[in-house]
Amino acid sequence: MKNTPKICIIDDDYIYRYTVVKKMETMHLLVNTLAFEDGEMALAFILDNLNIDSELPDVIFLDIDMPVMDGFQFIKEFAKIESQLNKKIDIYMISSSLDPVDIERAQRIDSIADYFVKPIKTEQLQSVFLNLQ
Amino acid sequence: MEKAAGNSKSKIPYRKIFIEQAPTAIAMLDKDMCYIAASDYWIKEHKLQGIEIIGRSYYDIFPNISDDSKELHQQCLTNAINIFDEAPFTQKDGTIQWLYWDIHPWYISKNKVGGLFIHTIDITPNKESELKIARTLDIFTKTKEVAKMGTWEINIATSKVYWSKITREIHEVPLGFQPDLENAINFFEEKNSRPKLRAKIQDSIEKGIPFDSDFELITANNNLRWVRVIGKPEIIDGNITNVIGLVQDISDVKFSKLQLNIAHSQLKAIYNSESISIFSTDSNGIINHFNKGAEQLLGYSAEEMEGKKEPTYFLFPEEVNKFRKELAILHGKNPDNFSHYRDLVYENVNDTREWNYIRKDGSIVPAQCTVSSVKDDLGKNIGFIVVSTDISDLKNHQNEILAKNQLLNFAEKMILMGHWRLNMITNQAYWSKNLYKIFEVEEGNIEVSLDNFQKFVHPDDKQMLLEHMQETMHTKVFQNFSHRIISGGGNVKTIHVMGKVVTNEKNEIVELIGTSQDVTDLKMAEKKFKGLLESAPDAMVIIDEQGSIQLINKQTESLFHHSSEELVLQSVEILIPHILTSVKAAKFSNDNITRQIGIIEELFAIQKTGKKIPVQINMAPLQWEEGILISLAIRDITKQKAAERKILKAKENLEGFAQKLTEQNKQLADFTHITSHNLRSPVSNLNSLLDIYKTTDSETLRLNLFEKFETVINHLTLTLNTLVEALKTKSGHSKDDIEEILFEDMLRLTKDVLAGQILKSGATITSDFSKCSKIQYHKIYLESIFLNLVSNAIKYSSEERKPIIEIESMNQNGKIMLTFKDNGLGIDLEQHGHKLFGLNKVFHRHPDAKGVGLFLTKSQIEAMGGTIYASSKVGIGTTFTINFN
Repeated sequence: MKNTPKICIIDDDYIYRYTVVKKMETMHLLVNTLAFEDGEMALAFILDNLNIDSELPDVIFLDIDMPVMDGFQFIKEFAKIESQLNKKIDIYMISSSLDPVDIERAQRIDSIADYFVKPIKTEQLQSVFLNLQ
Repeated sequence: MEKAAGNSKSKIPYRKIFIEQAPTAIAMLDKDMCYIAASDYWIKEHKLQGIEIIGRSYYDIFPNISDDSKELHQQCLTNAINIFDEAPFTQKDGTIQWLYWDIHPWYISKNKVGGLFIHTIDITPNKESELKIARTLDIFTKTKEVAKMGTWEINIATSKVYWSKITREIHEVPLGFQPDLENAINFFEEKNSRPKLRAKIQDSIEKGIPFDSDFELITANNNLRWVRVIGKPEIIDGNITNVIGLVQDISDVKFSKLQLNIAHSQLKAIYNSESISIFSTDSNGIINHFNKGAEQLLGYSAEEMEGKKEPTYFLFPEEVNKFRKELAILHGKNPDNFSHYRDLVYENVNDTREWNYIRKDGSIVPAQCTVSSVKDDLGKNIGFIVVSTDISDLKNHQNEILAKNQLLNFAEKMILMGHWRLNMITNQAYWSKNLYKIFEVEEGNIEVSLDNFQKFVHPDDKQMLLEHMQETMHTKVFQNFSHRIISGGGNVKTIHVMGKVVTNEKNEIVELIGTSQDVTDLKMAEKKFKGLLESAPDAMVIIDEQGSIQLINKQTESLFHHSSEELVLQSVEILIPHILTSVKAAKFSNDNITRQIGIIEELFAIQKTGKKIPVQINMAPLQWEEGILISLAIRDITKQKAAERKILKAKENLEGFAQKLTEQNKQLADFTHITSHNLRSPVSNLNSLLDIYKTTDSETLRLNLFEKFETVINHLTLTLNTLVEALKTKSGHSKDDIEEILFEDMLRLTKDVLAGQILKSGATITSDFSKCSKIQYHKIYLESIFLNLVSNAIKYSSEERKPIIEIESMNQNGKIMLTFKDNGLGIDLEQHGHKLFGLNKVFHRHPDAKGVGLFLTKSQIEAMGGTIYASSKVGIGTTFTINFN
């Protein structure tokens, strides 16, 4: 991989966003991060940069519970525009929910690469990056 | 001739006429064997037409006459004897004939022979059979009789009339009668015959014209006779001196002829009839007559047929062959190559049978035909005449009757029925085919009579049958009844008999007619049905369409405490009031549909004691001989009813439990969700922060991390407090918490608490509590509800307009309702509706949005047994509606 990977965190919890960024820093992972408080904001950004691959993320960490547009709604909207993208974006759903209903629902969606329960673990972050290469 | 005339001046002329007219072959010869006269028959018989014979020698004419014959002639002339002979005779043209000869002399005066009469009869065919000889003799006798004609003469000079003996006999006058011209003519019928004869005689006297006519004569004894009168004037030296003539009684011939004319015209009428088809054939089998009826029947015209076709043209060859063969056998001929034209010469044919004709259009018509032989005057067959009548109608009727009989036979077979007749006068009986079958006896093996019938009757039923017979004789009415028989095969059968008495005009019984049906199986079925009825677990009541009870079973007796006698023929409504309405509404036909009543609606039956019992009834139609009966299966459902009530109660309880459980499940789910999301996420944050804290050496980062810890802990505390509050709500409340609250007071309190926000936002709050001003409610909850909803309305107001909040109370059928309507941002309920009232759910990027308010509000309202829901439009506003109970 030539370029530094771009990670997009979509979560309304700023503490969480902070911990993820810091965690990656402590793991010495070389990344650029993007952050959005809800799905709608993230979607607006992707739509604005549809053809600019350098701006688009390689990986999205997507929360479920968010105001305005939650994780599942985002996935639904994202699926509609996915074909217009030149770039492959891996989406990981990351939630504090241990609710089996949520987990099952996430696993049924093809475009979701994996489902992680918060807090995200070192090995999980490592596998995300391994998959990128 | 001159010679002859000279020999006998006065006598010969008579004879001459006589001879010429004789209806037989006769010749008159003079003593020298020369012809004086010969009859037309003679000329014909001896083939002498066109040959002058008068005055010529007999032997010149027939040169082949033997010397023996010549000698015989001389003997006859000299000895004045009569000779009879049969001999072959060679004719002038050389043909040989067998002739019967009768030769006798004629006299000029007493004992003086003038010549010979030779009379011959052709007996050539007669030689073939004795029968023909007899006929010849008969003809000969007749000829002799005919020869006895009367003669008469008118002397013109003296006006004297001479009558011979026979003439007198014909007139039936006495011997002494003296005829003259006038009285002679007066014997004739005055209207036609008399003037006609008078004119004829006048003509012959004055103009010398001979005559030969038939006249009607009335004899002296007043008998009517037809006579042939021949008159011939005698001219001497150009003067008419005499009229001589013959008179012959031809009454028989004439009357026969008249009859024949009538018969002929009748036949002609028949022949011309269009309804009878007549055609005839000649001796070659070719059609020579084809009448109008035949034209119509066959469709061919006479022109197409006559002289051209044979009848075989429109007949079926097989029928023709059959006809020929049978005809041959009948007449004792060899049927091989038999032809009824060639091989039947004298035989009479008279055959009547059915033929099928092929019409011109190809269709086939059946006809009843009589074929008769047509004979010539010698009795020889010269063809056939066929008279036919169209019998297609008859055939159709016949076929129809045949078909109907067959149907009747089938019908009887199917229903095991036979019919019979018993003539009471002759004691003769008739049994139909099927009756024999039912009695299991061979048709013809027994003579069917009342006595023989009684032998089949079951011994136990004999007396009953006897009584029935006596009653029938007495009342002259045949009552239908059943009896048993022991059949020819030894089987016991039940026979149902229906009959009718036939009486004459004196009201005496002459005949009994009727049907006998084998109802053994029916009886068995009836028994089975009764058994079935008794074994039914329900009370069974069979009613007719009017509701009259026909049959009940034991269960009915025990259910209603009525006996069978008390119920049969009574109305079913004694047992089940108003049931007939249902029966009629069911509109039973024989489609065998069962209907149930008493399932949904309450149905009661009444016992003899008057006690009402709940019942259910199954109704079904029963096809019976005389229409439809309805079976009612009545079931006492007292026990079921009691059980049903218990079940209903249990069900209600269960439903209550289920509802509670559902609620609790839902609450549990809510809590699962809350712990999953709202509690786990701050905890996981804390873990993450701690993890970073542990792994870093940076003091700055650590300070920074502490700030984050504080935020997370505060958030966690708030969440926990909310949860505690919500849990408190769920755990119930005491009665003391409930008090009467005026909505007006509650709104004032809310405005006081939110005074700052209201002022800051410039919100207007209007209220209408006129329809319901107060409520019995948990005061703290209501405070919280008001606070939350009003503050939400302000918090999520549109930046484009000042908030307007309208609060209104309602009382709908005792249900108190409250609405909070704002003109704020609104929520897309389609997307967020499911989590509107969830914990920590926020829908706007508002800094104060915590997702706690509506969660608590809903918990409180539901804890008090109410509901809350929202309606909203993005950009227009939201309305919350609370239904308190």
